[in-house]
Amino acid sequence: MTTRDPDQEELMALLVSVARSDRQAFQLLYKMISARMFGLCFKLAGQQELAEEALQDAFVQIWHHAGEYHSDRGTPLSWMLTIARYRTLDLMRSRAVRRTSGDEHLEHLEDQRGGPLDASLRSAGARQLTGCLDELSDVQRDSILLSYYRGFTHDELAQALSSPVGTVKSWIRRGLMALKRCLER
Amino acid sequence: MKKTPERIESLAAEYVLGSLKGKARRRFERWMMESGRVRQEVWYWEEKLGQLSERVPGREPPESVWRGIERRLWPQERAQANPRSTRLWPAWSMIATAAALVLAAMLIQQPTLEPDLRLSGAIVQADVSDPLWLVSESSRDSRLRLRSVAATSAQAGKDYELWIVPDNGNPLSLGVIPVGDVYQVKLTDEARETLSQSRTLAISLEPRGGSPTGAPTGPILHVTKLYEL
Repeated sequence: MTTRDPDQEELMALLVSVARSDRQAFQLLYKMISARMFGLCFKLAGQQELAEEALQDAFVQIWHHAGEYHSDRGTPLSWMLTIARYRTLDLMRSRAVRRTSGDEHLEHLEDQRGGPLDASLRSAGARQLTGCLDELSDVQRDSILLSYYRGFTHDELAQALSSPVGTVKSWIRRGLMALKRCLER
Repeated sequence: MKKTPERIESLAAEYVLGSLKGKARRRFERWMMESGRVRQEVWYWEEKLGQLSERVPGREPPESVWRGIERRLWPQERAQANPRSTRLWPAWSMIATAAALVLAAMLIQQPTLEPDLRLSGAIVQADVSDPLWLVSESSRDSRLRLRSVAATSAQAGKDYELWIVPDNGNPLSLGVIPVGDVYQVKLTDEARETLSQSRTLAISLEPRGGSPTGAPTGPILHVTKLYEL
């Protein structure tokens, strides 16, 4: 994370203003990051309507909680994306969203050893996490990235990866711990 | 369940990933409220895994989303046609390069004044002459202030928790209130809406740190009705 990133500094200044109930700053903040946030919500939910609702909720939360941001929580952008992500996951859970793209993943998996995640995301994620994801086994990495980007539940993962739920759970758990050990090296 | 370092580490990761669900997720959220160590661990993962989010391609949301946000945050402006935002909207697509200009433009077009509704009241006890707490709420900054006057500390190991009592449904927690101080809480839209309808607050006696369930668990000590100023 680079603290000198001008974008992040601008977002930080906007957050400070939003914490003081500055509506203009809030509108500007929305304009600057709503597309990135919406991209994430949509990727996770896989459907427009739910993603829109999550985006709306996330910004309402940001308005009320801007003052709670601090640098331990990552960059301003990643903090706000995290809010949007949690909100999307909550809505998906409460509506028991089933991804229509589920079947497509299954076929994909049978054809290719590479796993169900598209290559662009895999490499982008790997670069960001300094190659640590690459050190995980394929199944560990895929389980983690599918949970993260697509909000797959344990059950859905078990189905997509044709493995028992218990196995999937331990892939995730061990994968995350291996990731942390690697990130801390 | 004991908060061992190993458990905190692994549950925090799964919480952020999203694979921790249902009861386990709620229990962990309670851990987060109780322990700075747990929050630190969650933030660690939010920061690390958050980098994955930043790489997802953007997607322009429809304009209705922003209008919805405005409606929820400032419902009292709904009646007005809001020409300000519709007129400025098209120009905003160039915001990245013209941020300062837009800010200047918006400063000229100040938002209209909102009516300032206030609710006020006191929490009293029959055998105490002064009120225990004085309450005031202002719609302008959507804050509720609770000033303790004659209130005395809750018994050892207990805390007072403040609730909005809706006309229907479950009470909404406004947090644990300290004694001998001014307590301020920012109301969410939902809370404000509920309070403006029912105008009823309650205080219950809870275990230290507040109700573990999200609903009052201890005796309801006081109920008060607010009136409009």
